[in-house]
Amino acid sequence: MSSTTEKFEFTAANMEKYKELLTRYDDVESALLPVLHLAQEQNGWLPPHVVNYISNLMNIPTIKIKEVISFYDMFYDVPVARNVVQVCTNISCSMFGGREIYQGLLKHFDTDYLTPSRDGRVSLQKMECLGACEIAPCMRVNNDFVGNITLASAIAKLEELP
Amino acid sequence: MKDVANFKDYALLSYHHIQGVHNIDIFERAGGYETMKACFDKDPEAIKEEVKLSGLRGRGGAGFATGVKWGFFTKDRNAKKYLLCNADESEPGTFKDRYLVEKNPHILIEGMIISAWALGTQRGYIYIRGEFYQQAVMLENAIKEAYAKGYLGKNILGKGFDFELAVHRGAGAYICGEETALISSLEGKKGQPKLKPPFPAIKGYRGLPTMVNNVESLAAVPWIMKFGAAAYKQWGTEKSPGTKLFSISGDVNKPGVIEVPLSTTLKDIIEIHCGGMRNGNKLKGVIPGGSSSPILNAEEAYAVKMDYEDVASKGSMLGSGAIIVLDETRNMGEVLKWTLEFYHHESCGQCTPCREGTGWLDGVFKRRDTGKASKSDVALLDKIAASMRGQTICALADAAAMPTQGIIKSFRDELEQYVTTTTKK
Ligand SMILES: Cc1cc2nc3c(=O)[nH]c(=O)nc-3n(C[C@H](O)[C@H](O)[C@H](O)COP(=O)(O)O)c2cc1C
Ligand code: SF4
Ligand code: FES
Repeated sequence: MSSTTEKFEFTAANMEKYKELLTRYDDVESALLPVLHLAQEQNGWLPPHVVNYISNLMNIPTIKIKEVISFYDMFYDVPVARNVVQVCTNISCSMFGGREIYQGLLKHFDTDYLTPSRDGRVSLQKMECLGACEIAPCMRVNNDFVGNITLASAIAKLEELP
Repeated sequence: MKDVANFKDYALLSYHHIQGVHNIDIFERAGGYETMKACFDKDPEAIKEEVKLSGLRGRGGAGFATGVKWGFFTKDRNAKKYLLCNADESEPGTFKDRYLVEKNPHILIEGMIISAWALGTQRGYIYIRGEFYQQAVMLENAIKEAYAKGYLGKNILGKGFDFELAVHRGAGAYICGEETALISSLEGKKGQPKLKPPFPAIKGYRGLPTMVNNVESLAAVPWIMKFGAAAYKQWGTEKSPGTKLFSISGDVNKPGVIEVPLSTTLKDIIEIHCGGMRNGNKLKGVIPGGSSSPILNAEEAYAVKMDYEDVASKGSMLGSGAIIVLDETRNMGEVLKWTLEFYHHESCGQCTPCREGTGWLDGVFKRRDTGKASKSDVALLDKIAASMRGQTICALADAAAMPTQGIIKSFRDELEQYVTTTTKK
C-alpha cells in the first residue's frame, strides 16, 4: 500500500492541535501517544511515511515509534477500513455469544482480523474486555459503544455504515 | 428539593440523579466545587491526615490505604511532582470508573484538585484507556470548564497554587493499568512495567515523584473532606470503611454499577440491587473482584460480605469490585479458557515465567480444541500456575495464576471433563 513516494503532513488544523498537545507535557516524548492518535485520525492507519513524518516532527527515532505502534492494539501498522469495529470476546460478552458474533461478522464480511472488507467499509477486531460489560455482548463502532447486540443486529448496524 | 446532591446515601454517585450534572454550572448549583474552595483554606498536611483517618483504601485493585501512600510522598512543595489518575480500567468485568466519569466528570476533577493541593503536585494527567473515547472527550470538556472558572491553571483562586490537568488517552493495552506501565506509556514508550522499588511516589513519571491513584479513590476525596473521616466511617467496617462502586455483569436481571457500603452482602447485591438471577436460574459461582480474583462457589458467594477482609477470608479478593455472576448453565472450563486467553494476550513479555506461563496455560485449552488434552492437564495447569506466582516484575502473572488455581480448587471435576471433551470432529 504505502510507498516512500506517499506524502503525509498534518492538516493546518491538526498542526494547531499538535502544537497545543505539546504544551500539555513537560517533554516532547510524552506527547507521542496523543500525536499518534491524531495522525491516525487523519490517515486511518500509521504507515511508514506517517511514522517518518512524526519522527522528523518530534525528533524521535522511527524504530522507537514503530515499537510503540506495535505494542498497542489500537494503533494500526496495517491498512484498516473506513470503519473499525471492535468486538469484545472477554468473559461477560462471551457468556452471551460475543465470540459467535465475532466469528459470524468475519464470515458475513468475508474477512479476517483487521483486514478491510472487500468494499473497504469495515475492519473487524477481536478485543478483550471493553469496559462495558453491563451491555454484554458489546462492540465498539469507531468511537461509540453498541451493546446488547445479536449477530443479526450487529450486521444490520454495520451495513448502515458509510 | 430537587437537583441537590444526595450526600446521605452516596459518596461517589451523590450527583448522579441530577440531569446534566456533567455541566459545571449544574454541578456547582448542586454543591460541587464548594469543598475544593474550602480546602484551599486548609493546611495540605491536614487534608492528607483526614484522608488517612478516613481509612480510604485504593480502589484500583490492591486496596492499599490512600492516606498511607500519600504519606510516602515528599513534603517539599517546590519539588516538581505529578498526580496521575488511573482511568485505564481494563480488568475484565470492571466498568465503574467509566460510569462515574461519563455522568459526572467534575467530581473526579474536584477530587484531583483537592488531592493536588494536599500533595503539592503542579501537573496531573488522567490516563484513560483508548477505548473510552467519548469519556475522554467529556473529561476534556469538563477540564476546559474548570479552567474557565479558574479552578485549574496558574494561581488557582488567587491562592498562589498552580495545577495543570490534562487527559491522556491510552491505545488498547491492559497492562497500562499497572502503575509503572502506565507511567512508561505516559512517557511515550511501550507500556511495560518496571521493577519496584523504586516506587512511583519516590521516582515515577520522568524520574520524578509521582502519585498514582484510581478514579474512584480520587473521586471519594471531596466527600471525605466535606463531611470528615468519622462520617465516612459510618459505612463499612473498621478495615474496609466507606462505600464502594461495584460493576456487576453476567447472569443477573439488572447488570450495572451500584454504590453500596463496603461489607454489603453479595446476596443482597445479587438479589436486591441486581434484581436476582436471570431466568430464575440457580447460582453456580461468582468472580468477585475482576477476572484475576479466584472464583467463589455458590455457597461461598451467598455467605460473603463484600469488604476486603471477608472476601480474602474466602480465598479470593475484592480487587476492583468487578462482580461476574455465573449461573448453573455456565461451564467453568469455558470461563477459564476465556480468562487465560486474555492473560496470554496481555502479557507484556518481559518476564519469562509470565510470558511462557500464560502461553502454557492458554496452550492447554488450544490443545483441547484439537482433542489432544487429557485429564492430567488439569494437574499441569495447577503446577504451571503455582510456578508463576511471586516471580515477576508485576502482578499480571499472579493475576493469571490465581483464578486458574481457584477454578481448579472449586470445580476440578468439571474442568477435567471440559479439557477432555472437544467440539472438533
Ligand atoms: C496487571 C495490573 C493491572 C492493573 N490495572 C489497573 C487499572 O486498570 N486501574 C487501576 O486503577 N489500577 C490498576 N492496577 C493497580 C495499579 O497498579 C495501582 O495500584 C493503582 O492505580 C493505584 O491506585 P489506588 O491506590 O487508588 O488503587 C493494576 C495493577 C496490575 C498489577
Ligand atoms: S509479569 Fe508479565 S505483564 Fe508483568 S512485567 Fe512481567 S511479563 Fe510483563
Ligand atoms: S467482557 Fe465485554 S465489555 Fe467487558
